[in-house]
Amino acid sequence: MTGVPSLGLVGRIAALSLAVVFFQIGVVSEVPVFGVNVDLSPLLVAFVGLLCGSMLGAVSGFAVGLLVDLALVQTLGVTSFIFTLIGYWAGRLRELRDPQAALTPLLVGAAATAGSLVTYSLIEFMLGVDAPVSFELVRQIVLGTLVNAIVALPMWALVRRCLVGGLPDDPRRRRRRAYTTGGLSPLSRVR
Amino acid sequence: MYDKTVRRRRAVLALLVVLSLALLTAYFGEAPGGRLHDVQRGFLTVISPIQDGANKALAPVRNLFGWFDDTLHAKSQRDQLRKQVDRLRSELVANEAERRSYQELVALYHLDRQLNVSDYDPVTATVVGKSPNIWYATATIDQGQDAGVQVNDPVINGEGLVGKVTLAAPDGAQVSLITDSTMGVSARIGSSDATGIVQPKVGDPNDLLLQYLPANTQANPGEYVVTSGTIAGPDDSLYPPGILIGQITSVDEESAYKSVNVHPTANLHDLDVVQVLTSTQHSLPASLSRIAASMPPGQRGATGASGEQLASTGAGE
Repeated sequence: MTGVPSLGLVGRIAALSLAVVFFQIGVVSEVPVFGVNVDLSPLLVAFVGLLCGSMLGAVSGFAVGLLVDLALVQTLGVTSFIFTLIGYWAGRLRELRDPQAALTPLLVGAAATAGSLVTYSLIEFMLGVDAPVSFELVRQIVLGTLVNAIVALPMWALVRRCLVGGLPDDPRRRRRRAYTTGGLSPLSRVR
Repeated sequence: MYDKTVRRRRAVLALLVVLSLALLTAYFGEAPGGRLHDVQRGFLTVISPIQDGANKALAPVRNLFGWFDDTLHAKSQRDQLRKQVDRLRSELVANEAERRSYQELVALYHLDRQLNVSDYDPVTATVVGKSPNIWYATATIDQGQDAGVQVNDPVINGEGLVGKVTLAAPDGAQVSLITDSTMGVSARIGSSDATGIVQPKVGDPNDLLLQYLPANTQANPGEYVVTSGTIAGPDDSLYPPGILIGQITSVDEESAYKSVNVHPTANLHDLDVVQVLTSTQHSLPASLSRIAASMPPGQRGATGASGEQLASTGAGE
């Protein structure tokens, strides 16, 4: 999506982001799964990028990251930085490759989660936060990625359902549909 | 047209990245009372009521997930608890005769008096948010400065010590749990007078390490670790003495100072209602302890290098 996004779409993304972040903080963070917590925020950002393109992906990533940092009283800017890159990367993936496989959201979600966890750890190390450097950290990253991959498909369905009404019809997909139907709609072929 | 789109896209990315890094640098470089911290406190004030409402509204969902989680872990927990009950029963029998014939009842009586929580003006609060990552072991509660909560106030629940308040807004506060990497609590083993510092265990953030104990300290697995009632530094929180922190799981004797591994008794993964002890800051013991902590190490007494001294010189901070 290269044009200026509609206000409706921006509103949908903002509402969805607020809801997901509060649900994450109030519910998901308090329910450990296999000893780790599901983190819906990187999935949300990656899927917004995958649906809306790199520009909206980066902007929503920055906003969601800032919201997370403010709400959790963490170092401002760290999550914004990481989520900006994740949103941009997912958007570019869509613009350059436009992957259509059913498992694409799962792989993108896992990659976004792993990327966010590893980058977060690296930044915290660089900031000099005294934290565990051990197998436990690796375990948290691996398990966190796996658990997020499990919830990636339902999360993708939710994000897609919420945003699809505000997305403009993609010309490339329209062309693809035309190609697969022989350039004509089934009705015109009948004629 | 294409070049313009690419340029705009790259410009937006660069702008956001630079903005993030600028925020990070400014936030990390400023004092806790700085402008960005004020913004964060203001935001916490605004969203605390929302979080509180959302927390109450979403409690059934959380309980449902919790029920699944509990069911999955029920079997292993049952086996663990059976073993624990067997061990505790044998320990109970062994201790019974000694307990009857000795003055432990008197000591327990004094301990109960010391632990009279109502003396510390407790404020009951509900946990409305928790940090989802292992870097920050923090929780957000729905009571703040309006209820008398201040930075450094100890936070407990029915199972033991939970942490201390590290940021207070009018309607909410942030609590650093005892497993947070920034925490250090003066503590002693229940049966000993020697004090040390309880800190998160590096490599296993869910466990604790009681460090800087004198080498001749008797420590056995299964013994309880409680707060010592002293402070580790001038900026530290005064935890009332005798609050349960955890249970010793193993003992390390590899250096001049003994250290023991401690498993926290409070279930920090499932916090719901906590109590903030709000009157410890201005109590007489707190004032005296602060004065003592601000003195040079040589003037505090001739008891040798204790945990508090090590901590106040930086080792335990």
